[in-house]
Formats: sequence, C-alpha cells, structure tokens
Amino acid sequence: MQLGFLVDLHLCMGCKGCEIACKVENEVPLSTWRLRVKYVDVGTFPETKRTFTPLRCNHCENAPCERICPVSALHYLENGIVNIDKERCIGCAGCVMACPYGAIYIDPQTQTADKCTYCAHRVASSMMPACVVACPVQANIFGDLEDPTSNISKYIQVNQSNIQVRKPEKGTNPHHFYVNGGNVALNPLASHRIEGHSLFNKITTLPVGGHH
Amino acid sequence: MAHEILAATNAVVTLDVALPGIVWPWLVTVNMWAKSIGTGVILMLFMLIRMHPDSVKNLRLPTAVVAFIFINIFLLFTLADLHQPFRMWHIFVYSSFSSAIAWGSLMATVFLGLLVILAFLAYKKNNETFDKVLVWTTILAIPVTLYTAALMAQCTARELWQMPTEAAQMILAATLSGSAAMILLGGSKLSDEAKNTLGVVLGLSALMAFIIYMSEYIFGPMKAEEVAAVLDYIKGDGPYAVMFWLGQWIAYLLPMLLILLSRASKSESILKLAAILALVGLAIVKHVWLMIPQLLPMS
Repeated sequence: MQLGFLVDLHLCMGCKGCEIACKVENEVPLSTWRLRVKYVDVGTFPETKRTFTPLRCNHCENAPCERICPVSALHYLENGIVNIDKERCIGCAGCVMACPYGAIYIDPQTQTADKCTYCAHRVASSMMPACVVACPVQANIFGDLEDPTSNISKYIQVNQSNIQVRKPEKGTNPHHFYVNGGNVALNPLASHRIEGHSLFNKITTLPVGGHH
Repeated sequence: MAHEILAATNAVVTLDVALPGIVWPWLVTVNMWAKSIGTGVILMLFMLIRMHPDSVKNLRLPTAVVAFIFINIFLLFTLADLHQPFRMWHIFVYSSFSSAIAWGSLMATVFLGLLVILAFLAYKKNNETFDKVLVWTTILAIPVTLYTAALMAQCTARELWQMPTEAAQMILAATLSGSAAMILLGGSKLSDEAKNTLGVVLGLSALMAFIIYMSEYIFGPMKAEEVAAVLDYIKGDGPYAVMFWLGQWIAYLLPMLLILLSRASKSESILKLAAILALVGLAIVKHVWLMIPQLLPMS
C-alpha cells in the first residue's frame, strides 16, 4: 500500500475548511500550520481571477527530510506516509531546510519538527484524514496509489493528462498530486509575494520555533 | 520561466499564512567559521612540520590548544542552535547514516578526542608520537571540514548549495583561516620561509574561493531560476548585497593585495593584517551564503 493525496484545484473554493479541520484534529499550535490554503490573485482589474491551493506535506517517495534527519525522527511507515517521532527529534531543523515545499515547521510548544502526517493516527483506524472529511466539495481525494480500483487511482487515470506535482525537478517523487493546477498555483516563483500583503494581516514571516 | 510570465499574469499572493523566517541563524555561521579555523590550523601544522620543521618546534602545543578551543566553539554553537539541545545524545544512539549531520557529529567527536591526545603529547614534549597522531588527525580534519558541505547539499530545497562548489569552498575556508590563524599564532617564531609558505596558501585560497564565488554569481542564474531568484538578494541594493561585497573585499581581495605587498616589503605587520582581514571577512562571506537561500519562499 502506498497512500497518496490528490487535490482537484478546479473544485477547491478556498473555504479553508480543511485547514481548520487539520488544526483541530492535530492540535496544531498558533502561528504554525500543517495544511494551509494559499490564495493567489491573477490578472488586472476587471479581468481578475483568484486561485486557491491547499499546501501540505507531499509525503515524497524520495523524501529529503527523511534523508537529512540525523536521528530517524522522520521515518517511513509501511503505507508510504512520512511520519515523525517528536520524542526522538532533536530540533536541528535540518528537515525544515531540506523540504522543498516548506511543509515542515518547528512546533513552538514542543520545540520539535512537525508536519502533516496524512492523519496517520486516523488512517490506522481506517478513517479518512480530517481534511478529506471536512472538504464540502470533495476536492481532496485520498487513497492507495497501488490499488487501481481506489478513488485516487481512478481520478489519476481519468485526468492523466492534467496531473501535476510541485517541483518535479527536485526528484522527490511526491505522493501528492494536483489536478487543474497552473504554474501560478504550484510554483512559488510565479507570483509576487509583497511584504505585509495579506487580506487579514500584515505578518509576512514569523520566528522559527518561537525563539532564536 | 516563472519570472518571465510574472509581468503578464500579475499574480500576487493575497492570502497566506506567515512563513517561517530564517531557520538556520548566525549561530550556524559561527559554527562553520570556527570549524574552518579548528580544522585549518591542523592542516597547516601538518604542512609546516613537513616543509619547515625548525619553524614549528614550539607551535605544536599552541596549535593543538587553538584547534581544541575552536572545535569546542563549533560544537557549542551547534548545540546552541538545536531546539532540543538536551537530546543531542540521540545522535549517537539513534544515528541515521543517511544524514550528514550524524556523520559530522561522530567525526567531530573523534576529532576532538584526537586533539586532546595531541595537546597531551605536545605538553609532554613527545614530538615523535605527536607527529604520528597528527597524521590521523589531519586525515580526519578533511571530512570534518567537508561534512557541512554535504549537509548543505542535502538541503534539497536550497538550489544554491551544490556539493562540488560547497566542498571546494569548505576546504578553501579551512586553508584560508588555518593559514591566517597560524600566521597570527606563530608570529615572529616562524621563519621567513614558513611565513612565505603560509602567505602563499592564504593568498591562493583567497583567490580560488573568490573565483568560485564570482563563477556562481555570474553563471549560477543561467542554470536554474531558483538560483537566479536567490542571487537577486545579493544583486542590487539590498543589505545582503552590501554584506556580500564587503565580505569578498575583506576576506579575499584585500588579503591577496596585502600578501603581495608583504612579500615585496617583507613586512610581518602587513602579513598579520591580511590574516586578520581574512578571518573577519570569512565570517561575513559564510553568513551571506547561509542566509540568502533562506529568504526565498518555498511554497
């Protein structure tokens, strides 16, 4: 079994339900996120469009975070999930530096690395990840990539000409796919990130792990 | 490609969470700088014992002590940078050998042990055994100084750091700072020939390191858009652009000029000035190269 995720960006409406469900399910502390939805506005008024992109750990087959971790705190589960053992983590932040997707953060409460685990604890109990359950439009599709009858495999088969991963050039082989994702949605260099830009706040960066 | 379409798409991030700031701060700069000195002086002592044995009669103990101090600074700052410093022992118990951090910690520990032995042997004036142990210490100094390059190369997210160039820069940092530290440490105890040799090592290290940085500065953006975006932080008017050029002048260009001057005038003071500038400049150069890839948003 190799679990994977697929997000149909054509369906996503940026409600952030997945983001909140993840926060609640995993008790993600303030100022940190395992899953977030990024809004990017494209075009010039009145010809404008808004894109929504949920971003989480890609659970790479060739994960740089697992490779760089000196104590195997980041490790593979048999189902392909890249899991983290917070009791073992020494907080060197090597994984934060290695992840090309910015998916790992230092938990300010435990001072250890943390990230999306595809809700491994729920999966172990045959439940879907919290974000999948919360999505009102079924934009998040989760399942076994090795099972051709799973929903995710079928979705990939139907949309095979339109499947993308983030930063394929890094050779990480992500187990997280996007359908209908453009360059603007998936490539951080394809959009401006203006200092203090956000709709609801002006905070652009935060200290890592709450100290240093 | 992404940069070119920006003007057409006018794509702007309008809602996102706050991104993490600098992950590896100045503590890591000090780590690299101190390690370069700690390993570099051992490399230089090994060279001097073979080339100018009479010059280093009284330098075995001071060199071992200086190396010991700087390797401890390196380890201390490594520890200080950990978010869970009291779990450092996990590295030795749960070592993952795919990680350069694990290899580096183990090698640095053995290196420190050898430095203690060297200091003891030098104190006992047992030069014959000292020189034998020094051979193994010198061999180990090379991977100890190189492991940070491997660590940076393992940071898949940071395209700027490539193993071939970082490995070369780490070795050159060790020979640059090692020769500079030995010039200051040896002072008038060194013969003119030994000073000349150290001056040549310092000057050539500075020249080669400068060439590599300039090559990356000019040709790096032609290979990857991510490298181009990172190098934009040292092109233009930003604070890192100022710091980058300040570092290049203080670490490399001025020491090279001063060494030429000191050879012409046979002035020890000018040579020492070159050594001090090289040591100060190296910290600035390392800091800039450590910081700029961390400024780029990853997602």
